[in-house]
Amino acid sequence: MSGLRKAPHSNRRLTVLLPAAGLLPLLLWQLIFFLLPVGLMLGLSFWRTEKYRLIPSFTFDNYVTIFARPAIWRSLLLSVETAIFVTVACAILAYPLAYLIAKKAGRWRGLLLVAVIAPFWISIVMRVGAWRLLLGEHGLINQSLMALGLIHQPFSFLLYSPVSTIIGLVYAYLPLYVLPLYAAIRNIHDSWVQAAMDLNAGPVRTFVEVILPLSAPGLIVGAVFCFVFGLGEFVTPALLGGGKQLMFSQVIQDEFQRRLDWPSGAAMSVILLALVLATLALSMKWIRRASGETES
Amino acid sequence: MRRGLFGWALPAYSALVYIFLYLPIAVIVLFAFDAKAIPGLPLQSLTMAWFKSSLSDSRLVGSLLTSLRLAVIAAILSTALAMPAAMVLAWRPMRMKSLVLCLVLGPVVLPQLVLGLALTILLRAAPDLIGQPAIVLAHTTMTSSYATLMLYSQFLGFRRSYIEAAMNLGADEFVTFRQIVLPLIWPAVVAVLLLAFTDAFGEFVVAWFMAGFTETLPIALWTSLRQFVSPKIYALSALVILVTLALSVSAQIWILGQTRRENQA
Repeated sequence: MSGLRKAPHSNRRLTVLLPAAGLLPLLLWQLIFFLLPVGLMLGLSFWRTEKYRLIPSFTFDNYVTIFARPAIWRSLLLSVETAIFVTVACAILAYPLAYLIAKKAGRWRGLLLVAVIAPFWISIVMRVGAWRLLLGEHGLINQSLMALGLIHQPFSFLLYSPVSTIIGLVYAYLPLYVLPLYAAIRNIHDSWVQAAMDLNAGPVRTFVEVILPLSAPGLIVGAVFCFVFGLGEFVTPALLGGGKQLMFSQVIQDEFQRRLDWPSGAAMSVILLALVLATLALSMKWIRRASGETES
Repeated sequence: MRRGLFGWALPAYSALVYIFLYLPIAVIVLFAFDAKAIPGLPLQSLTMAWFKSSLSDSRLVGSLLTSLRLAVIAAILSTALAMPAAMVLAWRPMRMKSLVLCLVLGPVVLPQLVLGLALTILLRAAPDLIGQPAIVLAHTTMTSSYATLMLYSQFLGFRRSYIEAAMNLGADEFVTFRQIVLPLIWPAVVAVLLLAFTDAFGEFVVAWFMAGFTETLPIALWTSLRQFVSPKIYALSALVILVTLALSVSAQIWILGQTRRENQA
């Protein structure tokens, strides 16, 4: 450390100052534009409104009212169910694909992986618009099925229903699921699989007892992100869902923008946020446990 | 026997998933050339006319230019915030690192709708910012988180021995940074800059709450998707999608190449 010997004083000051200077702008930014707004929202959820005017107070009325409205319960339930369904569907679609890319793709690995993620970067509004072209009564899927003579009436449940919301969400979050799965499967040494086969385990047993447990961290991380994003997603249900059965995010938006009841909307947002944080907190334990098992 | 089964089943299944991923994109690009005013099968004649009319629609092009401008600013701002922070997080021992990482992860896991509404509440204190400044602020909050996390994971794989070697040979922090660190990290930084741009360019929900009378391209598309959709919309979308794919693919291949080189070094 000759640099340190040459200018010990300035160097020691730099080792303290540089990290602080590097971190401070980002931390300040996130404090002002992320933590502060979320804190304000939490505070606002305890206020009340009178004739569309916000009145500062500290009341749990907003939360009580929310839990007394069955429509809100239904939308929350629909959101949770949809998110679970989307997560499971994404896992089923993503696992074989991630396995192929991680273990069988050879020199095509990088390209195949990039090809999975690339659609994720296209604006969500465009991706959802594309699904409307595919799913509508005169959409591509119905027209193709009718041209093939498989059906005589177009399927009307394909668009503007929970089905289309689920298709749109699976499409949106599939790339997010492949990434952690790919990383987890890539970390499984071929020799471990080989060892299981050498010890006379069949392909099914090798998969269930070796490959699946070792890829569990990827499965859980992917599921958590899929679930969390699916729970709060707004654009897809708003453009594909049809508006008969509202998801929780749509009810929140409605509360803010049409009913102009900000405290009540803020309380719903806090509930959504609490669900997200609870999911993350719960899964942290699993992720740590899962990765601990692979390390030992 | 296992080889025989998996030999074709796995690639076939994966091919179907790839078709699922690219079908909507193909459909948009296809219908951008469809001569009919209401897109549908069968395709009778193809035309380039929709591209011409979309590019001469001043409202659409205006929203495209607004989106481009705001996304460039947000990408530069968020990379400028993220790069030094990621370097500190990855290379310096520090206390409360997990707390800082949690704060950075926050905007990623927070539902976009909630962030949009929370920022709407914040901006009641500064209503003048509503419009383009507010959109940049909001997008920078989101993309700086992504950018920090991506750069952090890139920098973790960076060999500290290079820095230590330079310092041992008498280089100070600034010389080390300019001559050793910067040449090694700039591909990752450029890639993250491109991805932050792409992300900010396409983001809708938060921008929608911040917009006031400003119209970004996703907002213009949202409005038109709620009414009759002209094929011009598909033509412009097809152009934007192809550029987006090119940008994100090159950025990701860049990151992959960089990681591989680091691992081999």
